[in-house]
Amino acid sequence: MPAVAQPTVDRTNLPTVDVAAPSATQGGTLTEPAADAGHSPVVLDVRDLRTYFFTYDGVVRALDGVSFKVRRGETLGLVGETGCGKSVTAFSVVRLIPDPPGRVIGGKVLFRGTDLLWGLDSEARIKIDEKTGRAKVRRSFRRIKTALERMSAIRGRGISMIFQEPTQAMNPVFSVSDQLSEALLLHHGTSIVDELLNATPSGPQVRPALEALVDTARNGAPDTVRAAAAKVGQAMNSSTFGTQAFYLVSESDLGPEDMVRRLERVAHRLRLSRIERAYLRQRRRQMVVEDELHELYLSEMREGHINRRQRRVLRGRHARNRLRGFYYGIWGIRGRIQRPLRDETFWRSVQRLEEVSIANPVQIARGFPHELSGGMLQRVMITMALSVDPVILIADEPTTALDVTIQAQILELMRDLKRRIGTAILLITHDLAVIAEVADRVCVMYAGQIVETARARDLYQHPLHPYTQGLLSSIPNLERPDKKLSSIPGSVPDLIHPPVGCRFHPRCPYAMPICKEQRPPTTAEGDEHTVACFLYKGDVAVE
Amino acid sequence: MMSTESALPLISSFNLRKYFPIRGGLLSTRIGDVRAVDGVTLEVRESETLGLVGESGCGKTTVGRLMLRLIEPTSGHTYYHPSPEVLARLEALYATLKGSVSDNGHGPSPEAQATLKELDEIANQYSLYRMKHSKMKELRGKLQIVFQDPFSSLSPRMLVRDIIGEPLAIHHTGSRRERYQRVGQLVQDVGLNPEHLWRFPHEFSGGQRQRIGIARALALRPEFIVLDEPTSALDVSVQAQILNILKKLQAEQRLAYMFISHHLSVVRAMSHHVAVMYLGQIVERAGTEDLFSRPLHPYTQALLSAIPVPDPTLKRERIVLKGDVPSPAAPPPGCRFHTRCPAVMPVCSTIEPPLIEVRRAHWVACHLYPPSGAVPGSSSGMAPAVASEGDAGAGVPLAS
Repeated sequence: MPAVAQPTVDRTNLPTVDVAAPSATQGGTLTEPAADAGHSPVVLDVRDLRTYFFTYDGVVRALDGVSFKVRRGETLGLVGETGCGKSVTAFSVVRLIPDPPGRVIGGKVLFRGTDLLWGLDSEARIKIDEKTGRAKVRRSFRRIKTALERMSAIRGRGISMIFQEPTQAMNPVFSVSDQLSEALLLHHGTSIVDELLNATPSGPQVRPALEALVDTARNGAPDTVRAAAAKVGQAMNSSTFGTQAFYLVSESDLGPEDMVRRLERVAHRLRLSRIERAYLRQRRRQMVVEDELHELYLSEMREGHINRRQRRVLRGRHARNRLRGFYYGIWGIRGRIQRPLRDETFWRSVQRLEEVSIANPVQIARGFPHELSGGMLQRVMITMALSVDPVILIADEPTTALDVTIQAQILELMRDLKRRIGTAILLITHDLAVIAEVADRVCVMYAGQIVETARARDLYQHPLHPYTQGLLSSIPNLERPDKKLSSIPGSVPDLIHPPVGCRFHPRCPYAMPICKEQRPPTTAEGDEHTVACFLYKGDVAVE
Repeated sequence: MMSTESALPLISSFNLRKYFPIRGGLLSTRIGDVRAVDGVTLEVRESETLGLVGESGCGKTTVGRLMLRLIEPTSGHTYYHPSPEVLARLEALYATLKGSVSDNGHGPSPEAQATLKELDEIANQYSLYRMKHSKMKELRGKLQIVFQDPFSSLSPRMLVRDIIGEPLAIHHTGSRRERYQRVGQLVQDVGLNPEHLWRFPHEFSGGQRQRIGIARALALRPEFIVLDEPTSALDVSVQAQILNILKKLQAEQRLAYMFISHHLSVVRAMSHHVAVMYLGQIVERAGTEDLFSRPLHPYTQALLSAIPVPDPTLKRERIVLKGDVPSPAAPPPGCRFHTRCPAVMPVCSTIEPPLIEVRRAHWVACHLYPPSGAVPGSSSGMAPAVASEGDAGAGVPLAS
């Protein structure tokens, strides 16, 4: 760990935020996991991202040059007040900005080196009339459509997302397991089908394993029962059957012989008929082509040109496969031939729900979104987002709609999952306290720009930007309640006519003449601490 | 956060209950009740702030509205400016009532009936809920509210001047010119400019709208204001502005607040006393310092430990509660918190713990703190804390 670089700025006339904490030098000697993250590879590199909304009132410059990096296994917090562009950043990264009115108009989003905004300039021609502030946008919808198609190769497996309102993000007419299954089938389809096709429901070891399970269930602790159920799953080559058997055994109170017979009957369903096998193989072919298409899209984005010939071939295969799939539909028995797959994905979603420590996953999986509480739904959302093992998880205000006790549960869960899975998390919130609990590094946003980036500890102990300082001192602190609350005068500016120069200068207590003219450059002030403010004259950060 | 010894109760509520009917079936008959508020006894003293804390759905807002008689209670009474004699009598009566009838008994005993009768007479004379319409209208000027959502609590079709001036017009205060002068004064009190008077609410940001709401509440020189989550829709930097204004106004005009919030750090910054609610009941009530430094009820402890602290260097012991808040339509028997309590005992699921004074001016409803000999001189636990030694230093732990 390099030591904190000596700030070249004169600190005497700087505001001090009296957070009773160790001094700056200690921040550099930390050997926390956060420090390790400094060496892990960058998975998301956002450079100079600009997103504008073209409205009747004028062009809203919602994002104006946002740059940040997310490393593997790290949690990056993005904080700011309402309307500062936090969510717009998230939506721009996964290209979910509603278009019209919004468009990402510039910048780079490098996801593991692949630019997600590739071909952006050809998608629309934009002319902004400087006098009236009005804009003309001519979109090429075909190009936009292919761009969005390409994004489907990234969304989910690459970048997955949790939304703010769990009640609004779920579909009310499908059960929880249906919605989880959809994600699972989209991203792990082939392995699910393979497991189903390779299951051996009547192998020689099955019966003894079942008997052992029923035996342990009668007097064993839940852990041993679970182990026995896992053995059943191994014997049948199907881990989902293990889960199913566990719940069957633990819920029913049949006698031992009846129980074994019942389990065998359920296992019998895994013995697939010819048409079921045919259907599954068909689905598998479809999924393989879809995967190949996604691979192609990714390679196109990486290499920067469209491989038209291969694309045509793959699309043709895809269309023919879908037609053949339709053939299974018109038999009128689609529901029946799909049942093995349905059951398989149902129990897979139960397995996933178990991982986020939901107490009764079977009932929850069968339930519909309106039957669950907000905290429970948020867990389901997290499960859904993580069920595809994403490289990056974007959590957009995941706990804002929840009560404090539930918020504590969810934050605990996210921390635990991060430890286990090692997903990089981009956590977006307006709550500085939540960020302090979870994030390794923090970016502070103001009016569509990032004003300060630092490690969480550095930021809370030595906030540099006047906005960050104001924000931190305006939080009522539970530990030190007697401190008078200071507030930032004024409110967030209108982004159609943002202030010229530094966007914070109308509210800044240290505003200088230069602040009203020029936009401050982002400068490095110590190790991994950058700030965009004229008060600091460190090295201009290389971005 | 010093509470003055001389502060008199400005408004006291006894045994407030509010059940909202659940209708259903063929003739939409009453098939159940949502017990939003179930036996809440509270008091707010002159020029002090009572913080009311709890999770969503615990009945905080309903208590606030009941105390202003914006909704009628199912049972219970609220007294505004009760005289010390009446208050003492009421406390004695409620204490005997609690001692003589159990909640699930078969009708009251003769002596309890006498108590009930006397309570009824007092209520007829003084209770807010038995007042005539004209008298109530007079009082409304003294009892005001600031709503949670500044975007839906201001009429979009009225000028700010008319919004703030409306209470004055309704109560026929002064001539039109005097009213507008007062409005101009109010607008400055809450930190807006006189030029803002000629605008419509949609032209303002959330923080400014909340200032308008506060100015409207102040118009009739109230003594008691219910602040129903006044800052939960605002950003932190603006929240601090609003909280500072509220504090300044309280100091200048000797206002009493009831500050309803789910945000514990804000409550701590604002209140002299705090009551913690869970599923329609008060589980703990104490002076702010006392409550935050030595929380007694397991729910309060969990709530306090669940708050994220904006300082990564502070790592605290965290109690993470399991599960969700049960439905108030079917509250668990016994202690309502026992389904999530980390310190649950067998007795918790059968007997409802009474709210008892465990330390001086520190009331808690939990079986962990047995009532026997806990507080000398106050055996039955229903009287509200009159003595105001609610500060941390004075609170001597009396429970053995």
